[in-house]
Amino acid sequence: MTEPASGFADSVDSVIRALSGQHYVTERGLATAVYLAIRLEKPLLIEGEPGCGKTEIAKALSAASGGELIRLQCYEGLDAAAALYEWDYPRQLLTIRLHERDRTTAQLESEIYTERFLLRRPLLRALEGKGPVRPVLLIDELDRADEEFEGLLLEVLSEFQVTVPEIGTIRASTIPLVILTSNRTRELGDAIKRRCLYAYIGYPSAEKEVEILRQKVPELSLHSAQEIAEFVGRLRTREDLAKRPGVAETLDWTAALLALREHSLRPETIVETLGLLLKDAHDLETYRKEKVAELLAAP
Amino acid sequence: MNSGTSSPVLGNRLQTRVQGFLDRLRDRGLRSGLAAGVDLSRALQALPILDRNAVREACRATVAKSPAELAVVDRVFEEYFGSFDLPVTPPSEEGKLPQARDRLGRAPSGSTTPAEEREQVEEELHGRYSPEAPAPVPRRVPLASERLRRYRAGARRFRRSVATLPGRRWRAHPVGSVDLRRTARAGLRSGGEFVELARRNRSPRRADLVILWDVSGSMREHTTDLFGLVYALHRVVRRTRVFAFGHDLVEVTQLLAGRSYERALPLLADRLRPTGGGTRIAHCLNEFRRRHESEVRRTSTLIVLSDGWDLGEPSELADQFRRLRGRVHRLVWVNPYAAQVGFRPATAALQVALPYVDLLASPEDFPLPHGAVRRAGVPAPG
Repeated sequence: MTEPASGFADSVDSVIRALSGQHYVTERGLATAVYLAIRLEKPLLIEGEPGCGKTEIAKALSAASGGELIRLQCYEGLDAAAALYEWDYPRQLLTIRLHERDRTTAQLESEIYTERFLLRRPLLRALEGKGPVRPVLLIDELDRADEEFEGLLLEVLSEFQVTVPEIGTIRASTIPLVILTSNRTRELGDAIKRRCLYAYIGYPSAEKEVEILRQKVPELSLHSAQEIAEFVGRLRTREDLAKRPGVAETLDWTAALLALREHSLRPETIVETLGLLLKDAHDLETYRKEKVAELLAAP
Repeated sequence: MNSGTSSPVLGNRLQTRVQGFLDRLRDRGLRSGLAAGVDLSRALQALPILDRNAVREACRATVAKSPAELAVVDRVFEEYFGSFDLPVTPPSEEGKLPQARDRLGRAPSGSTTPAEEREQVEEELHGRYSPEAPAPVPRRVPLASERLRRYRAGARRFRRSVATLPGRRWRAHPVGSVDLRRTARAGLRSGGEFVELARRNRSPRRADLVILWDVSGSMREHTTDLFGLVYALHRVVRRTRVFAFGHDLVEVTQLLAGRSYERALPLLADRLRPTGGGTRIAHCLNEFRRRHESEVRRTSTLIVLSDGWDLGEPSELADQFRRLRGRVHRLVWVNPYAAQVGFRPATAALQVALPYVDLLASPEDFPLPHGAVRRAGVPAPG
């Protein structure tokens, strides 16, 4: 077990403090999972509602630890060439043309398949991290990638090594802190889940959301933060919503209310700015002034 | 238990407790293997083990792999470690001792633990248990292997017919953009001379299915065919999620995963408890949207297996179908009576759903080489 960098992850409390220093409010359960991921050198898979801070925690950890944040955004069709490494084909083609007369094919081949022609993608960059501080590798929205890509990750996440057939095996000298996130648009494979610790981030309680608002938007008064958190909390309980607002939406909405110099929630203002909270056309259509007033008046 | 959780530092007594805890979790259906045991032991070495909350959080982080498993871990933790005295539990704010709990770690009436709350919510979602009602799915329905094979062949045809959108993966193709990687390789083989440009284009996006299977009493006599079809689709299309509904909605995908037809059916029968109260299609669709809509892709094909007998308001059902239709690539309704001579979509539910349905098929259409399922790839009407 590698000893964590002093002061950053000595205990669960120090993780909470370090994240709080980056204005990231976390619950003890998530902080424990992060602490264990650091101590056990295991990847941490975070699932949860969209806009509730899954990606943000990797950024906060990077800032708190001083490690470089290396991000791999997943999408359908993501493959080894975009995630691990790729050969620099235009340079290889040029080199072949330049030396086709004075080199043999074998010489050319040994020249163009060297590290000089290797384009390093996020996974390889994370493994090549040097120095005492561990880089933070964020593999974002893994559920968007194909199942085959999960297979590619298995070697990286369990052995922290990559095999390039033309060069050999590249092993990490400093194990990166790996955060994987998923919005659960599909179930991830058992093999990948087995290699990870797990945490789930749901919608925050009203108290936690007030704390988040106060940390992220210091100019917001306590009363306004409470009013906003309560309103959004009530909105999230509505069963007729296609998409519930996350914390990211609450923060955007708060910024909009501040920009409009609205210090108290009024039905008219809410309706005008509701597009920042509700991102579904049908939801917007449903939540007209009467329904908003009804929500505001709810105990 | 296994030796996978053995640790030189963790005391023998606690090690035994941890192993017992993992065994209990396995009894409850969690597939916690050796790796989870090793992780939990290592985690307990890194945490103050007298802090009950820290131990609970370690169990959650290392053993659970989904929100549903988190709830199971919480529940089993309360049961298993609930009888421990908690030396580090702080007294309440008023300086009183923490409330007494019973053997299962349950608080007295009037206050509930988060785990119990989740259990109560689950009870709500699963509907009210009704001993008089017949089980929604019988434990055994024989299906000839030949028929199952034909269902699988039909499912493969169906998979091809709904996978019509271009994906993001590339494939070698005589027509398309230049493939630099293959061009460079070919150039090297011909001594640096680029004789021919290799080309590539996008391969079709894979099919993914969401199946909503009506298991209410009126569908019971069709279980053989419908389960055969559901099973075949789940086996053939890798991205398939299956939900059973009647009075309420329950996801059963995991019960089918990696299991034979004969093994999966009893598990389903055990999971789907008999409920009274009739079919609530609109309610279940609303539940599905509320809990799973964000997980549905615009490339998904939604398949509803139902006879359309519904207790709810047709207008509500129309609203649910209208919303769902905008979220998916194809909407298919499989009605067990659709192949009968003189069949007309007469039920109110079917009538309001038809404008949003791309294909109305019968389970018997699937095994046919040129059955109606071939029409699933045609554009939606209107």
